[in-house]
Amino acid sequence: MKSYRQLKSEKRRVAVIGTGQTKFEARTPNKTYYELALEAAMMAMSDGGITLGNIDSVVYGIYNDLFERQIMPDTYVHDYIGMYGKPGIRITTGGATGGYAFRSGYSEIASGLADVTLVIGAEKAQDCYDWAQGKTTPEVIKSIAYSADMTWEFPLGTSAASSYAILASAHMKKYGTTEEQAALVSVKNHGNAINNPFAQSPMKITVDEVMQSRMISHPFKMLDCSLYTEGAYALVLMSEEKARETDVKDPVWVMGIGSSNDKSFTGSRTVNDRMGKYGDIADLRNHYESAAMAYRMAGIENPRKSVDVAELHDAFSFTEIQAYEAMGFCERGKGGKFIEDGVPMMGGDLPVSPSGGLLGAGHAVGATGVMQIGEVVNQLRNRAEKRQVEINRGTGLAHSIGGPGSSYCSVSVLGVD
Amino acid sequence: MKTSTEKARETARKELKSEPLESVIDRIIFEKLNQNPSILEHEKYFEVPDKMVMFYKYSYGEQSRFFSELMNSAELYGSRCSKCGILHFPPRSRCSECYGETEWKKVSNEGIVLSSTTSWYATSEFFDKVPYAVGYVKPLDADTGILQRIDLKGREKIEPGTKVIAKFKEKRTGVVSDFWYEIME
Repeated sequence: MKSYRQLKSEKRRVAVIGTGQTKFEARTPNKTYYELALEAAMMAMSDGGITLGNIDSVVYGIYNDLFERQIMPDTYVHDYIGMYGKPGIRITTGGATGGYAFRSGYSEIASGLADVTLVIGAEKAQDCYDWAQGKTTPEVIKSIAYSADMTWEFPLGTSAASSYAILASAHMKKYGTTEEQAALVSVKNHGNAINNPFAQSPMKITVDEVMQSRMISHPFKMLDCSLYTEGAYALVLMSEEKARETDVKDPVWVMGIGSSNDKSFTGSRTVNDRMGKYGDIADLRNHYESAAMAYRMAGIENPRKSVDVAELHDAFSFTEIQAYEAMGFCERGKGGKFIEDGVPMMGGDLPVSPSGGLLGAGHAVGATGVMQIGEVVNQLRNRAEKRQVEINRGTGLAHSIGGPGSSYCSVSVLGVD
Repeated sequence: MKTSTEKARETARKELKSEPLESVIDRIIFEKLNQNPSILEHEKYFEVPDKMVMFYKYSYGEQSRFFSELMNSAELYGSRCSKCGILHFPPRSRCSECYGETEWKKVSNEGIVLSSTTSWYATSEFFDKVPYAVGYVKPLDADTGILQRIDLKGREKIEPGTKVIAKFKEKRTGVVSDFWYEIME
């Protein structure tokens, strides 16, 4: 590693050199959260050709203390996977936990603080159990609903689904987006998951089946919503000089990262326009801002023509439509038409979420964003097996969001030389 | 011929049990806790019942007046920025756009729905209330909106742009759920 004086002021280039994951499943009574993290970490280290001794620092993406039944869960993972004597920090930013953990891991190396950093996302969920109903789901929803503001919003009976459904309703009203268009996202992503052996919900379904599935929070039906998932995903990040020195095969470079958080009291977004900034409740301003930042850093001017493959956050089908627009893949308000035209399909010009996304692969919250980045890495180095898409321009994008009204957003652009 | 939405709603209704909660939960948990931990079928892993409970007393800080006016006078208060003029609802002690100082200002009971959703699934605490609508409502004279329940009055959903009016509970305890909105006829 260079000394501080040698570093001067420029950022160092950072590569992703290894990926590893557990299967994403509804429930894993055979593994605790630290055992899930261990399994993914060992696989990522083996893929990256490194051992425990090579790692300088660790970043943990773990969303919810109530899921884990544990405050500060990262410290127990750190011990369990043998990282004592090294720095370790935890990121928790809702559904965007994985994307932000990656950003933090990138910063460790770009700043010169570390040469090799492990980023691990891990999550339990379905240990939460509602004894009155004899089901996990209501209690899982409750532990997420505690992320709503406890004074102003939680007491009204909100849920993650209702928070995002309010955004979808606004988008439908403003741009005429339809439930059928959103259902196409569900059909695509559940279908893509069939080619992903790690996926929780591979399914061949129709638009009609999505439309007739159980109502959850209007306009979301059951098949518009991702499921609760347990699992872990790990990435090994390395500085350029270390990667060259150790002759790493197929490094995938971090070309750009952009992140922005919008107002989490969604009702105050009405003044976004008044203050000369774009966006209201229908337009996720922080998604546009994150993408612009990431593209600027990566030197991308026309994302539609520069990106080969994207993993977009689809905790709910409508959110993917909003993301097509914010990522600049189509005009604002035209996200529904973008999927009707088939562009994001597996055979389309810009395949979106070949992994199956959150709808198909599962939403193991802290692990999700890390998984999306790992998927893009494996696509770019042509290791995505049955779900491999054509890589012509050598660029991929991962979009990680979360929080009330999608207040967190982090976009990562990756590329190969 | 039933519409898709009607079918989806029927399925939702069938699935819900309207059992009351906290006392039931306590009873069941304590019964389970008194039994031996179970071993999962076909597996060698132990599974045990557990719960996590916390008690609090908390302060509303500089937002206190909103809750005292709501409880005592059934009136809604926002805060106006003395610098840029934005009328924040719910109130903020400082304007988040320009950090200007704010002053208390009563806001209109009439408002506009910015966007809303109808919930058909919920936690145990709200199971017996579904379907119910929650959405952001902006009082006519305010610049920002608050999340609140909107009475569906038999409708399926509340469209953005709908005019609504605040209604107040008879017995108020100084919590945000002391009021709700109803559609103006």
